[in-house]
Amino acid sequence: MLSALEHQFRKRASKWLMRSREVEPGEVFLHQRRVYIMPTHPGLMFCVMLFVLFIGAINYNISLGFGFTFLLAACALIDMHLTFRNLAHLSLSAGRAAPVFAGEDAQFELHLINRRKHGRYAIWLDFVGEGLPNVDQAADVAALSTHSVVLSTPARQRGWLAAPRVRLQTRFPLGLLRAWSYWQPDARVLVYPQPEENAPPLPLSEAEKKDGQGQAGQDDFAGIRNYQAGDSLKRLAWRQIAKLDVDLGGALVTKYFEGGAAVEFALDFDRLPNRLDQELKLSRMTRWVIEAEARGVPYAFRLGDTVLTAALGPAHREACLHALAMYPET
Amino acid sequence: MEKSGAPSLMRPFMRRITQPLSRDKSDTLLLLATCVLVLAPHAGHLPAWIVAACSAILLWRGWVTFRGHRMPSRNLLVPIAVLTMAAVYWHYKTIFGREAGVAMLVLLLTFKLLEMHARRDLFVVLFLGFFLVLASFFYSQSIGAALMTIAATVAILTTQLSFQYTGVVPPFAQRLRLGAFILLLAAPLTLVLFLLFPRIQGPLWGMPVDAQSARTGLSDNMSPGAISRLAQSDDIAFRAKFVDPPPPKSRLYWRGPVLGSYNGRTWTPLQVRLKTNRPIVIKSHGTPLRYQVTLEPSNQRWLFALELPQTPPVLRDNASAFGPNLELLASSPINERVRYDAASVLDFELQPQESATALRLWLDLPQGFNPRTRELAATLRKRSSDNAEMVNAVLRFFREEKFRYTLEPPVLGTHAVDEFLFDTRAGFCEHYSSAFVVLMRAMGIPARVVTGYQGGEINPADGYMTIRQSDAHAWAEVWLANRGWVRVDPTAAVSPARIEMNLTSVIPRRTLGGLITLDAGQNSWLAKWQALRQNWDAVTNAWNQWVLNYTPDKQRSLIQSLGFDSADWRTLTGLLAVAASIVLAIVVLPLMWNRPQFDPVEAVYRTLCRRMARLGCARLAHEGPRAWRDRLSASDSPLAPERRAAVARFLDSYERARYGTMSKDASAVVSNLKSLLAECR
Repeated sequence: MLSALEHQFRKRASKWLMRSREVEPGEVFLHQRRVYIMPTHPGLMFCVMLFVLFIGAINYNISLGFGFTFLLAACALIDMHLTFRNLAHLSLSAGRAAPVFAGEDAQFELHLINRRKHGRYAIWLDFVGEGLPNVDQAADVAALSTHSVVLSTPARQRGWLAAPRVRLQTRFPLGLLRAWSYWQPDARVLVYPQPEENAPPLPLSEAEKKDGQGQAGQDDFAGIRNYQAGDSLKRLAWRQIAKLDVDLGGALVTKYFEGGAAVEFALDFDRLPNRLDQELKLSRMTRWVIEAEARGVPYAFRLGDTVLTAALGPAHREACLHALAMYPET
Repeated sequence: MEKSGAPSLMRPFMRRITQPLSRDKSDTLLLLATCVLVLAPHAGHLPAWIVAACSAILLWRGWVTFRGHRMPSRNLLVPIAVLTMAAVYWHYKTIFGREAGVAMLVLLLTFKLLEMHARRDLFVVLFLGFFLVLASFFYSQSIGAALMTIAATVAILTTQLSFQYTGVVPPFAQRLRLGAFILLLAAPLTLVLFLLFPRIQGPLWGMPVDAQSARTGLSDNMSPGAISRLAQSDDIAFRAKFVDPPPPKSRLYWRGPVLGSYNGRTWTPLQVRLKTNRPIVIKSHGTPLRYQVTLEPSNQRWLFALELPQTPPVLRDNASAFGPNLELLASSPINERVRYDAASVLDFELQPQESATALRLWLDLPQGFNPRTRELAATLRKRSSDNAEMVNAVLRFFREEKFRYTLEPPVLGTHAVDEFLFDTRAGFCEHYSSAFVVLMRAMGIPARVVTGYQGGEINPADGYMTIRQSDAHAWAEVWLANRGWVRVDPTAAVSPARIEMNLTSVIPRRTLGGLITLDAGQNSWLAKWQALRQNWDAVTNAWNQWVLNYTPDKQRSLIQSLGFDSADWRTLTGLLAVAASIVLAIVVLPLMWNRPQFDPVEAVYRTLCRRMARLGCARLAHEGPRAWRDRLSASDSPLAPERRAAVARFLDSYERARYGTMSKDASAVVSNLKSLLAECR
């Protein structure tokens, strides 16, 4: 019954503490007023023990017993202060967060910045929110330094995923008290649609059929040019590269092809069968983008207002996936 | 060639202990060491089998940790634990009470070490440790015990915090420093709490029967050797602090048990009481001498005061009264150090009028003992009928015959007094007083033996007079018509020095069975040693007075000396709150006040940043000084035009100072920046 009551209390308390959910941009300073502190279970046990020691000292008239009890009480008070100090006046800022596919874990990088001359130890961080798994990360932040922690949270839906609320807590040094604070980091992650599993193969044959030709832009070797970011590694002209001495200013070169360019291979949302659910279509498009990149097939991309000409490379891929994640744009 | 076998066997072991231990192992070993430190003070009083059992369990636990073995299963542990608990019951015949309780706690702690699984168990072990530290105060509250406690507390704190680290674990020395640091920070608050926390005097419930064990001190009987054994003890019987100037040593008779019944060997208090409500008549002369006595626990009911106290001293929770023969008796045994105020008159007449029936009690002698003494008494009696003259005659006899004062008298037979008076003639105060009283009684003079302490040593370090067990003494009282009971000290007749000076100066102190005789007068080494001992005594006395004897009374007088009229709990609580807040503020604020130190250039820059932020032109997180300056000096900047120029100048200088070549004169750069900053306002 007591634990049920405690559970209720905790729920209420956390609701109250969570009431402000605004994102705090930039570096956040854990002001002392937003650091809370409460005894832990061992801390409560410690209080009971102090009381028993005190009664014992009275009953047997042990003067040193009084002294000892008071010493322990004072140690607990000092511990309260040190625990508080371990967390308070810490600066926080959100770091990078790479996009992920739905179904994966979004990784948020968080920086803990200690501008004080005392090291901070055993600060536990986790994301709090409905239905989030309880995965803690512990961090130590040395004096006058910064420590980075990566916290992950499942990315379930495509689109922007804001970082959940972060809870920071510490019991250091004696474990009798727990100081904690909440932080809404200013960080979000773009979640791409989940790539369809067992998706049909790239619709290359479709293009082939129409034009009666082979793979678009892959037929005729037209020469080599300098490597540009985004060129597929499969197209590096290894023979030429091998001839050149990199020390003499030689550079990577890429083979390029002509012919068949008119017949571009396209990933077109509208050409997908209508019976498919929108999310499934997006999912299939996502899979195809990944596959086209993997096979080094340049692809055009059409989705609603987004129309991209055939290309390859991370920038193109990102643009496509971004469009898929955000479709339909609001 | 193969070297001897032992080192090669030792090698794996050495390798194992020299290689760094895993975190778990080192934490557990630290916990074990802490437990040993907590348990050690109890080894002295626990029965040997418990000490052995605990050591075995600790070794077992150490071995399990060291080898990385699994902990023993509960099926093995529970029967062993139950067996030892049963053994405790069998040994003490109870599991309650203090001794058995402490034994149980000790076993519980050691067994818990073998049954630790969760983090919660760590706290159970440490909290049991705290209880055991408190329990060790049952046995000793000396300064040494206090130091030991501090060491144990630091160890417990260090262990507790060692388990809290998650990633980086600093080296042991650093953790120990943090543990000690916590204790150090806690010390001032502890002092305030100790002095001001409203005290309640115990006990809250009945003291267990086994609360006290035997202690040294005067007992209520005197048989050969009783006092000479005490005289070899350096233990302190009590201390006295004189309000008035202390009297000369020869008048320092601290009266204790009065013995009137003799069976030929042992003196005991007179059991027969005629009328206990018979008033004691004392005629006092002169003004009373005031002093305060701090009595060490003796487990006896006797209280000591100079002859003769006017009123029974007031003890808290322990009424005291005069016994029928003017000895001071507390209603229950003195189990802890007590302090009382007393006032005594040194010149008095005690019961100058006394009925013949009452006096007859003090004439009783056992039949069939000491015929030669009786003969001597009869011879002396014939010479005079004046009792006072007879007393002097006997004293003269002691003085003029070859009596010797010694702490190691020969053994006496059945007719102890006869043998002493006529054969051995060597003895201690108990022999002299006993023989004197027997002689008196044989002559028909009412007489009795009084035991107590004689003398005392003023400690120049703190002005307290220390009375040790070695000052234990026995003398006699005789009843003379119109003068009442008169103190006679036959020992003084033989060895006046015993009364005038200290016992130690009368009897050469022997060590190593008399091989070396230490002479206090000539040896400066010994003098130094004595000075050292006196200083140490003073420290111990201060400890006793201020720490161990800090009672509600003492607390009240402290509060009153601070200038508060009433020392009720309200004053105390208020005072405590104020003092604790001040102390906490003093301790905690410097810890909060460790702002990061910026170099002066950076500090000036930060001032500007703050100032601009107030004006709504805060530097963005990604902005360097140049980008910021460009933004601030752009035409759409919210800054006033004259301020724009100043800020731009400042930021240019800052950029040069920070990222340009190092200027030789750093202070000039800073002062330049400061003057530019002033323009920016």
